[in-house]
Amino acid sequence: MSPSALLRVERLSKRFGAFQALDGLSLEIAPGEILGLVGPNGSGKTTAINVISGVYLADTGTIRFDGRPIDGLPVYRRARMGINRTFQVPKPFRGLTVAENLEIAAVYSHADRGQVGKCLKFLDLDSLAGREAASLNSAQQKRLDLARALVCRPRLLLVDELGAGLNPAELQSMAQTLATIASSGVALLVVEHLLGFLRAVTSRVVVMDAGREIFEGPLDVAARDPQVIDVFLGG
Amino acid sequence: MFAALPFVYGNHALLFNMMMYLVLAQGINVLFGFTGYLPFGYVGFFGTGAYGASLAILLLHLPPLPALLVGAAAAALVGLILAPLLRLSGAYFAIASLAASEIVYYIVSNPHLTPITQGPYGISLVQAYNAGASYAVMVAVLALALGAVVYLRNSHLGLALQAIREEPISAGFAGINVVRERTRAWLLSAALAGLAGGAYAWHVSVFYPKPVFDLNISVFAIVFTLFGGVATLLGPIVGTLLLYGLYNWIGISQPEYFQLVFGIVIVVLVLFLPNGLVSLLRRIKIDVP
Amino acid sequence: MIAYTLLAGLLFGLYFSLVATGLNLVFGVMRLINLAHGDFLMLGAFLAYGLYTAAGVNPLYTIPAEIAAFMLAGIALYYAVVPRLLSSRDPEMLSFILLFGVSQIIEALAVIAFGNDQRAIPATVFGSRPVFLFGQSFPAAWVVSAAVSAIALLAVYVYLYHSRLGYATRAVMASRDEAASTGINVHRVSAVALGAGLALAATAGAFSAFMLGSIEPDMGIGITTVSFAVIVIGSLGNPLGTVLGGLVYGLGLMFMETYFPSWADLLPYVLLILILLVRPSGLLGKRVRLA
Repeated sequence: MSPSALLRVERLSKRFGAFQALDGLSLEIAPGEILGLVGPNGSGKTTAINVISGVYLADTGTIRFDGRPIDGLPVYRRARMGINRTFQVPKPFRGLTVAENLEIAAVYSHADRGQVGKCLKFLDLDSLAGREAASLNSAQQKRLDLARALVCRPRLLLVDELGAGLNPAELQSMAQTLATIASSGVALLVVEHLLGFLRAVTSRVVVMDAGREIFEGPLDVAARDPQVIDVFLGG
Repeated sequence: MFAALPFVYGNHALLFNMMMYLVLAQGINVLFGFTGYLPFGYVGFFGTGAYGASLAILLLHLPPLPALLVGAAAAALVGLILAPLLRLSGAYFAIASLAASEIVYYIVSNPHLTPITQGPYGISLVQAYNAGASYAVMVAVLALALGAVVYLRNSHLGLALQAIREEPISAGFAGINVVRERTRAWLLSAALAGLAGGAYAWHVSVFYPKPVFDLNISVFAIVFTLFGGVATLLGPIVGTLLLYGLYNWIGISQPEYFQLVFGIVIVVLVLFLPNGLVSLLRRIKIDVP
Repeated sequence: MIAYTLLAGLLFGLYFSLVATGLNLVFGVMRLINLAHGDFLMLGAFLAYGLYTAAGVNPLYTIPAEIAAFMLAGIALYYAVVPRLLSSRDPEMLSFILLFGVSQIIEALAVIAFGNDQRAIPATVFGSRPVFLFGQSFPAAWVVSAAVSAIALLAVYVYLYHSRLGYATRAVMASRDEAASTGINVHRVSAVALGAGLALAATAGAFSAFMLGSIEPDMGIGITTVSFAVIVIGSLGNPLGTVLGGLVYGLGLMFMETYFPSWADLLPYVLLILILLVRPSGLLGKRVRLA
């Protein structure tokens, strides 16, 4: 494990009732790196994001951000430290306008107001700025979710199935967007099912199954690894 | 406006109670409209304010105005003690707040505590009775309540609270300290009810425990607000004026018919107009303050 | 005196378990808190009272009729409101408020029909000789109520664990979506559950005159609150938990009434808040840590 890791997760476990969602997951991400997180349904990818971002507290294991343990910190503290995320089903503030969604994030994460305008433009939302968030279609809501996370100037962005439901043109545009974000120094953890989309964005992946990592390395090597193939194709 | 009415309209008791409900409705609005929590036990704060102010006058011999502040502080204190309830979600919070309100009622009216709270025998403040001054105070409290809502409507705090209400998880990721802001709304809401309770106590000067902890007070305030439309300034006002007016028209002589109408109003509201009357206006693109 | 308190606590505990089980079933299947639960119980009570005063019918015999009637009412109520609620933005809160409205309507209709006074059915309807259990004597009415409660609870158990519809019900209780994807008609199961919940409430209502002292139109909210306390103590949605919760509550109530009578009314509320704050998952629930 390299000492300069931005995020280091060690033996994370989380159980819900009788279901062990995470079972000793370990991974690390370097500053500015894009790491893909893949695995079959139920392997614990979304739980991993939920635990790292603070929506759930882990049962055992540690999470270190920038070397410091963040295990008990509530969500808003993690957000202010620089960890943010999007949601599989977008969760914008539906009754607020697009602009208000970003403004409130800027105010409460102590970011400079100019960020709002920049993020609106970057994610192609400025023509929608005055519209109520509830009236956006699902692709637009995904961009809003992402914009809201970006306004808070994260250093680590956790992205949950951003590609789902997007058409090929939108996928390409989103891949470009993620690459641009990463090039400005933000580390990304990308949970994704669509391997084509993932390939356009990153080279390194962690493959999960049954709550822990079973492979870590380049995507093409993963695609040829027998254990990985077995996990995806097996029962 | 309410300041001018008594000189024109004779039924002062109605005006006073109307103002009281306007304050309570806005208090509910602050909490429910802006954070989505529905306090079925809201009347607990009202009663606490009434008792806090009364006991300040009776036991501490304070003049009425500071006593009112003591009432509001007492309500806020109870709110602080009950703040852990905010961890609960929606319906559980509603019932738990009802339970809390009942607990305060039983403690206050318990015969064992008669030396302090006068127990079930009620409070008598006749020495401080002053209809005019207490009416004026209620007008001031109403102004304060309306001011608070105007502030929330136009400030970042209000936006943040609405964000918390819609998506508490996302709100955290926008850097909002959900627990702290929610608690602030809760305490403000409690203090408003406490002030209303204190003013009520002063105005009537003689009251028993049961009416100031009556569940119907919570219910009226909640339904008035929902009916008019939450998170707006106008909604609770419209709701209170219409429904409390209706109550005074048919409810006092035939309470069971009012209750029937009330129940039907609630059912129709939930099924067809969950965002209240003002949402009708918003549908035709009129923006409501 | 302790033996009496203990045994009385168990008798009442069984009764309260019955009172609360309907609410628990409805919650477990639909995640709906039926605020009108106590009012349906009240209707059951008045129905039993009405049949008794009109035709001298022993409440035991009104139960089958009540079960049928309330079952139908529940199914009708379900299809009238629930599908519409489920498509709204906040079904949990909206249904909560809606059922509150229903509760107000029921109460108002009851007052209009029966007036505001308290009614009672004399306990001698079960015979005037007390029943002896373990050397302590209890009114026959209490023992009969407890026995019927136990039978009803057993019936619920048999339904849930030994019938096909019950199995489907448990599947929906565990996960609505997964149950739907295995072909279970979730609406039908839920409607039956609501019907059963109301029928159970009405059955408890038939005995409420003996166990709770008197019946009046506004007894509903208090009963709903007690029921809620019972099911939360025993873990929301868990049928066995409700029985446990009922026993805990019954014993607690008896002890309070024997030793601290003037504070006994506080019991359901204090228990409710304590449990919700200290162990919200109830006595039988699994702890889930949330940030």
